Amino acid sequence: MRARPAATSMGSMDGLYIGSFAHALGARKRHLRESAEAGLLRSAPEDLEAAGFRWHHICEPDGSAYDLARSAVAEIAARGELTDIDAIVYATCLPDGGTRTGPVRDVKELMDFPAGRLQAEFGLSRAIVVGLHQQACTGVLGALRVAGALLTTEPGWRRVLCVTADRFPDGAWYEQAYNLISDGAAACVVGREPDVCRLLTVHQITNGGLGRAGDDETVGTYFAYTHRLVREAAARVGLAPAELDWVVTQNTNDKAWQILARLLGVDHARVWAPTLPDVGHVISADPVVNLSALLDSGRARPGQRIALPMAGFGLNWQCAVLEVVGR
Amino acid sequence: MTTLITGADGYLGRRIVAALRGEDLILAVRCADQAELDRKRALLARVTDAPVVPADLRDDDPFAHVDPRSVTRIVHAAAVIRFDVSRDTADRVNASGTARVREFARRCDRLDRLMLLSTLYSAGRRRGEVHETRHDDAGFVNHYEWSKWAAEECLLDAPGLPVTVVRLPTLIAEDGGGEVGQYNAFHHTMRLYHSGLLTLLPGDPATPLSLATAEFTVAGVTALLTAPPGIYQLCPGPVTLGTAIDTAFAVFEQDPGFRRRMLPRPIPCDRASFHDMAQAARRLRGGPLQPALASVAPFAEQLYLPKHFRTDRLRAAWPGYQAQDATAVVEAACADLIERSFHVTAH
Repeated sequence: MRARPAATSMGSMDGLYIGSFAHALGARKRHLRESAEAGLLRSAPEDLEAAGFRWHHICEPDGSAYDLARSAVAEIAARGELTDIDAIVYATCLPDGGTRTGPVRDVKELMDFPAGRLQAEFGLSRAIVVGLHQQACTGVLGALRVAGALLTTEPGWRRVLCVTADRFPDGAWYEQAYNLISDGAAACVVGREPDVCRLLTVHQITNGGLGRAGDDETVGTYFAYTHRLVREAAARVGLAPAELDWVVTQNTNDKAWQILARLLGVDHARVWAPTLPDVGHVISADPVVNLSALLDSGRARPGQRIALPMAGFGLNWQCAVLEVVGR
Repeated sequence: MTTLITGADGYLGRRIVAALRGEDLILAVRCADQAELDRKRALLARVTDAPVVPADLRDDDPFAHVDPRSVTRIVHAAAVIRFDVSRDTADRVNASGTARVREFARRCDRLDRLMLLSTLYSAGRRRGEVHETRHDDAGFVNHYEWSKWAAEECLLDAPGLPVTVVRLPTLIAEDGGGEVGQYNAFHHTMRLYHSGLLTLLPGDPATPLSLATAEFTVAGVTALLTAPPGIYQLCPGPVTLGTAIDTAFAVFEQDPGFRRRMLPRPIPCDRASFHDMAQAARRLRGGPLQPALASVAPFAEQLYLPKHFRTDRLRAAWPGYQAQDATAVVEAACADLIERSFHVTAH
């Protein structure tokens, strides 16, 4: 009998909305050729350029993932939208922030509580905190899913702040699975009141058998799993992939979605990743960056359905489906 | 009766030599220097004590060491068989090299047979029924196909020579037991799927594949040496691409290591998508995907060009012909690959 990776989904997420999108990027914007000269890349710069990458964002030496998260949340607060938060779901690939050095005597030094720090810093006194760090680059969608689950099981709660933030440690390659990486964070709020989009579903596939997959295996399995992911996510809301109005993707090799669009029967003109050259792959944040760009463009009309498929190490694949409400 | 065998040290050449052991043979091998010739002589001495002569088809007179008066049969097995061979090499070895064999054959006064080992894919881009007749130029997927077609034409155009062209299938195992003796595009592709490096399937799953054992192929070649001259398609009975993949995965999934990795079966993709993927893979630094795909991609387009090879002449000329269960051969070969962890040593 064939083993199959666990595939679960939330099904219908009636009455949940998502909005207040914000993001923050590392302060230093560098051309990939400059980073190549600095020894931060593994691929030849011309190969990354052929994939569509140009620029990426790196934190200053004293900048942290928490600083990025705080900047993204501060943007929401500045808009007056950081109200009635009952929970904070914080997703990261690198839970220790990559900053720890030397031997440890007191294990408290290994603990980091960025969600709690956000709670304190922004005065979200009634919010509880949840952390996610097993979903790699798909973590932001895992945060949406957990937010939906919390709101479903806690009838008195109204809004959940979802945050993702990552910063690569100094000296690390700013390239993973042939993608140019940026330090960055993204945040949004899932709640019960009408907002920019309805959150229709989040679907996830995990294959722990590929938990230590190398870059080539990650690329090799990308197509079959993403194809399955989008088909299954669309089916959860009663759609075929071709009926999706937009597919907002991670910033990855632009050939990948030319191929997947054909396989899925999706018009490639509806595949949206305009920030690929300027931003690169912001770990778990770039789909939020691209979604914000789509919503800001005015091209997404009320009633349209948007898929956000993401792939990450682990290996994990997640896809959210939203419906544009407009306010 | 003396048979000159070119490429006698190659995968198929050695097996033909073994099948003709006991007959008068002259074994022609390509070698860069005396040391390589000595090594190849030692290799072939395990099979026969026939003389081994150096012959490079790129030389003006590659058979300078062979007395044409003694040769009554030529089995021209030497060729570059990589699908990613360059046009220049394919031309110099497979096409022009065959022309040199033809010129030598003209000097063999007692010649009874000149047999060219060609490929079923000399049919090129044509689709549908393929007969055991000369092909016109229908275009080709890669330089290898073109060069084998050109080699066929070179001999079939030559008046007065007793030419037999045998179009060979893809050899994936030694015999029905499945032992794999040499890697080719089939094995590279299976390795990509088994390792999770590829999850796209180029081609139409309904496309028939002609996959065979060396045992079947050598038996056919030796039988056709005494058959009337002409063109024969040595096709063992097809298996569709989709069935071959399903069969391979059914074998892989019996392997606990493979099961744990939960790798998906590949999804069929259109030609443009596979082309885009192969192009993009060229930019992936240093990993295993790029070189493995390099051997597969030049052939992949054939998988969109379904062909049904007729074997009427073959069946009439080879009384011992028996269609092989190609699905069983795929199953056995994949089981062998798993058993050896995909490490195959040429022998």
